[in-house]
Parts: sequence; C-alpha cells; structure tokens
Amino acid sequence: MSGIVLHDIQKSFGATKVLRGVSLSVTQGEFLSLVGPSGCGKTTLMRIIAGLEAVSSGAVQIAGRDVTALRAADRDVAMVFQNYALYPHLTVRQNIGVPLMMRRLSAAERIPFFGGLLPGVAEKQRTINADVANAAEMLGIGKLVDRKPAQLSGGQRQRVALGRAIVRHPMAFLMDEPLSNLDAALRVTTRSEIVALHRRVGASTVYVTHDQSEAMTMSDRVAVMMDGLILQVGTPEDIYTNPQDLRVAAFIGSPSINMLAAEIDPHGRVTTGSVSIGLGASGHGPAILAIRPEDIAPHATGIAARIEHQEYLGESLLVHARVLDSGEQVICRLPPEKRRHVARGETVHLRPDPAKALLFDGDGRRLGSRVLSLEDAHG
Amino acid sequence: MATVAGWGPAFCRWKTPMADVAMQSPAVKAPTVHARTLRGDAGIAWLLTLPAILAYCAMILLPLLAVLALAFTDYEFGARSFHWIGFGNFADMLGDRTFSASIRNTVVYCLFVAPLSIGIALCLAVLIEAGARGRAFWRAVFFLPVVSLTVAMATAWQYLLHPSIGPVNALLRMVGAGTPNWLGSSDWVIVSLGFIGVWENVGFNLVLFLAGLTAIPRELYAASEIDGARSGWSKFWLVTWPMLGPTMLFVIIITMTRSIRVFDTVQTLTQGGPNNASEVLLRTIHQEGFHYFRFGYSAAITLVFLVIVLGLMLIQTRLIDRRVHYG
Repeated sequence: MSGIVLHDIQKSFGATKVLRGVSLSVTQGEFLSLVGPSGCGKTTLMRIIAGLEAVSSGAVQIAGRDVTALRAADRDVAMVFQNYALYPHLTVRQNIGVPLMMRRLSAAERIPFFGGLLPGVAEKQRTINADVANAAEMLGIGKLVDRKPAQLSGGQRQRVALGRAIVRHPMAFLMDEPLSNLDAALRVTTRSEIVALHRRVGASTVYVTHDQSEAMTMSDRVAVMMDGLILQVGTPEDIYTNPQDLRVAAFIGSPSINMLAAEIDPHGRVTTGSVSIGLGASGHGPAILAIRPEDIAPHATGIAARIEHQEYLGESLLVHARVLDSGEQVICRLPPEKRRHVARGETVHLRPDPAKALLFDGDGRRLGSRVLSLEDAHG
Repeated sequence: MATVAGWGPAFCRWKTPMADVAMQSPAVKAPTVHARTLRGDAGIAWLLTLPAILAYCAMILLPLLAVLALAFTDYEFGARSFHWIGFGNFADMLGDRTFSASIRNTVVYCLFVAPLSIGIALCLAVLIEAGARGRAFWRAVFFLPVVSLTVAMATAWQYLLHPSIGPVNALLRMVGAGTPNWLGSSDWVIVSLGFIGVWENVGFNLVLFLAGLTAIPRELYAASEIDGARSGWSKFWLVTWPMLGPTMLFVIIITMTRSIRVFDTVQTLTQGGPNNASEVLLRTIHQEGFHYFRFGYSAAITLVFLVIVLGLMLIQTRLIDRRVHYG
C-alpha cells in the first residue's frame, strides 16, 4: 500500500496530551490538508510524519514501509517550513542542492576543496548541479541561483524552499503553513502554483494550515483537527455541506455558520423560537440547529429578528440580525440587489432552508434529519 | 518640535511642544519652522552628548595623545626637563633584548592560548547545549575562573605546579613521567602560563558560544535532518559552524586582545623570569614605566602594543567580517 498511513498516533509532552489517537491515510498522489485552530496538534502530527518528533504510541507507514522507528533523514520525505528554514550562508543553488549533496556524496566527498579532488566527485557534482538547475527552472527562479537568501523577497525564498523539497523527488511532501509569511495577494497566487506543482510532481502531500480557505481551495481532502483529534476527513464539499461535528461546522466557512437553539417536539418536529421550520428528526429534546448564511432568507413564516448591521461585499450582502425572542445572532447572505429592501432596525422574518439545515445534539454530534412535507410540518 | 520664527533656537529648545503649539503664529511658513526645528534638535543633541565627549577626551583621547607625545621624548619621571629624541626610543627597542623577548613570548602565549581556549570552549558549548540537563550547572562551573580573582588563584596555581610538593608533579611521579619545574624552567614557563590562560579564557568564550548557539533557529536543524544530515557531525558543519560565524569573529577578537594583555599571572607567578623567559609586553611597559621611571620609553612600547592590537582587530574585522554576516 502506498501513500502515508497513520495508525492511532498518540503523543504527549510531559503530562500534556497533544495527540489523542489519530488515524489517517493519505493515498498516493493525494493532496490532504490538516486544518484546525492553533494548538490543535496539527504541526506536531506533521513533525511526527517527518520523523522530527517521536510518537508516544502508534505507527507511521510511508509507501508501505513502517517508518515509525526511522529517522527523518531515512524516511524519504521533504518538508517546507513556515519560515522556509533556508541556510543563510549558502546560495540558492547550494540551498536547493543540499538534500542531493547529503545523499549522493559521502562525508569525505563533502569536505570543501579537498572533497572535490576525490575521483568521481566532479561527475556527481555535475549531475547535482543539473538537477538543481531543473528544479530552479521549474519554479521560475533560474536567474536567482547565485544569490543568498537575504537578497530574496519572501515569495522567492518560498520558492527556494519548495525547490529544496522537490529536487530529490521524495515519496511525500510535508508543508507547514508555507504561505503564512506571504502578503495576501501573493498568498492567493502561490496557492494555485503549489497545487499545480503538486500535480506535476505527483507525490502525496500533507499540508498544514490554520486557514480554512487555503485548505478548502487546495486540497483533494481536508482533515479537520481539534484538541488532538481528527474530527472529520472528507472532500472540501463534504466538510462544508455535511459536517459530522458542530465544531467542524463552526470552523469551516466564512462568515461562520449560524447556530440556533432548537427543540425536537414529541412528534419529531424541529422548532426554534416556537417556529416550526419544516424539519423532522427522531427522538426529542433540545438540539442545535446550524444553518449556513446563504441557506437562511427572509420569508413570511420565518423567525422574527431585528436587523443590526449590513455588509455589502459586491457579489453578496451580509445581513447581521438578532433573533427577537432569544437574542441569538444570525448572519444571512443575500443577493446584493436586496440592499434596498433591508434597513437597520427593521424586523424581518428569516426562514432556514430545511433541506440545508444541519441538526446537532447537545454534545455537538450530528443528528439525522429529514425535510417534512407541509402536512407533517403543521399537522 | 515646532518653533516660532523669530525666536532664537537657543531659547526655543527649552520649550515644551505644547507651548510651541500655543505660541505658533499662523503666518509662520512650514519650511522655516522645519529648518529651525532641525537646528534646535541638533543643538540639544550636542548638549546632551557633551558630558560623554568631555569624559572621552579627558580619559581616553588626552592620555593617548600624551602617550603619543611622550613616546618621542626621553622623559623620565621626576626629571626637570626632557628632550625630543624623534624615533630614538623605537631605535632602542630594536637592540633591547628584554623587549624582543617580551614580543616573542607574547606572540607564543597568544598562539597557544587563543586557539586552545576557543577550540575547547566551542567543544564544551556544543556538548553542554546538546545535553538535556545541568546546563546552568556546567556554565557556572566553567565560568568560575572568569569571575575569580586571578591574583588569588595564582597562589593555588603556584601550589599545584610546585616542582616538589605540587600535586601535578606528584601525579606525574606516580605514572613515572618526568617532573619539570613548571614555573621555574625557561622551557616550560610560557606553556604553564599558557595553560592558566586557557583555564581563564575558556569559561568566558564558553558563555559567548552558548549565547551564539541558542540564537540558531531550531528549524534549521530540523531542515538539515530532513535534508539528510544524519550525524551530529554533518549537522555541525551544515548549520552550527556557519551560523556561529559572527560569534566566532567576536570570540577571536576578544580572546586575542585578552591574551595580548596578559599581565597579572606573569607578575604574580614569575615576575617575567626565569631570565626573561616569561617577560610579556604589558609587563615590560609596567617595568619600564613604574620601576625604572623611563616614561618616554614605556610610552613608546605602549604605542607598539596599541598598533599591534589595532592591526589585529582591523585584519579580523576587514577579512572575516564579510564572510560571516549573511545579511
């Protein structure tokens, strides 16, 4: 079996449990993002895959080989660091060439001046330089190879770091928030470049980020982590439309999902603020209704709320309202032309689309729900 | 700070910005105000620097100039007059056996102490940094010689190195090795003083290296590990050594100047003997000046000493500085 497989990884630093049993498999050539708030353990998990951190228990497999006990140097993975971690005293060419030097040349052959005199070293050095030149061309930094990192911009340094990762064709790529030090405009263009690079190189990639929009736009699959656990793994669409945990629903999406206190009555109908919203569920008792801002809209039979504030975004309009009965905050995304129809201080009736509404129990676990026919809803 | 046109800067510089704003007339043109403000600020800057300038002149520049002048005279302490003798003192040095011995010994001492104390300190620093526990303990242990009084410690060394009752020779006798007279033989004395010098300097250099090591980003070690640096040795050459460059330059300069200035161990343990075998530059200056009261000659040697120190610093900063700072 190829790709990266993690079996029940646990990691503690002293008494602090950072990872509490993480299992995950990344298939060959897949781009998987680990996303979660800071401190959720995603960087620790990546360092464990890289071999920079030892597991407390569990196993790591890369390309079908158990590498749990292997050191980083022997795992055949490449990593791009948040601060790039370029060697400041080496030129771009030397920086990209380091992984090849360390692998293709013996310790004696690496000695400055003297090493170059040994038989065969000149030939090896030539192939290294050719590979480095290829990688640099691929990333569009061919003209910068004689500069030192201090003479490069943030974006260029980032490319050098990528070059150092791709130059030796590793089994897996690990990227630790590689875009967080770039300015906003560059971040968006670099996103698509990294995705394109991943397609060309074709190695399994694990990408750590706290930015859910990066995770959603770049990945084949997204793993949402919180408190040392993976809550859900799925395609970006799956994670967005079908979250299995309230924390996933709340973390993914901007502005974040609306949450309203709800009640399942003995007939299995879901009501919020005494308004039946046409949603049925099994069981009864208190629940939480989560609804994306684009799935709630003004309607005659909706929940009464007062408009507090609106944001015009060009392609849409965000209306911030407060539910009259409960005081809960609701954000609703409307087409921009509705701007003339809503005013601050007005009362509107907002109705969640029952087909898109998500129901969670008090512990944040997803509950099954179904759209009720009109008779069921009011009968 | 804005000032009003027409008021002298000498007056204005004492006013608060609040007062300025209140008194500013609407007719004042911005460029004028700006020019005057700059002049006023510069005046204050000079005024505030004045105490430091005076102190520098009185304590460093004037004595230096006095030494410079004295070096070309035959002035002796207490003499009623002196004569300008041009380069006479320097010509005397060429034929002075004590002076040439002190130059030779100082060079040997430096070449012994600097590489050894830097090398040992670097090894210890890397070991202590890599160790999981007891960093503060080891740092304190090796730093102890730096904070202890050399003159007091010299007594301990005198005992340790004593030819007949000293523990060092007792140990050597046990293993059947020769028992040199460490401080009394002209073959060994500079080596013995050198060892004491290394012992004194290692702790100081160690602390500097430890500071340099903690400044190296951890990510670089992680990157080198991923890049295939398996051994500590290859990580040292790929990351530690180049990243310690600026620290290394500083340590080399400091150690060289510290060892050129060796005086207290020589004065307390050997008084330059036997037969000038441990005569060093600073002690010669001291002897000529305060023993024989030949201030002119002493000043001339001081000048030579200064030129050597400045020359070393210039070579080191010019040659090495460019290669250890990576922007």
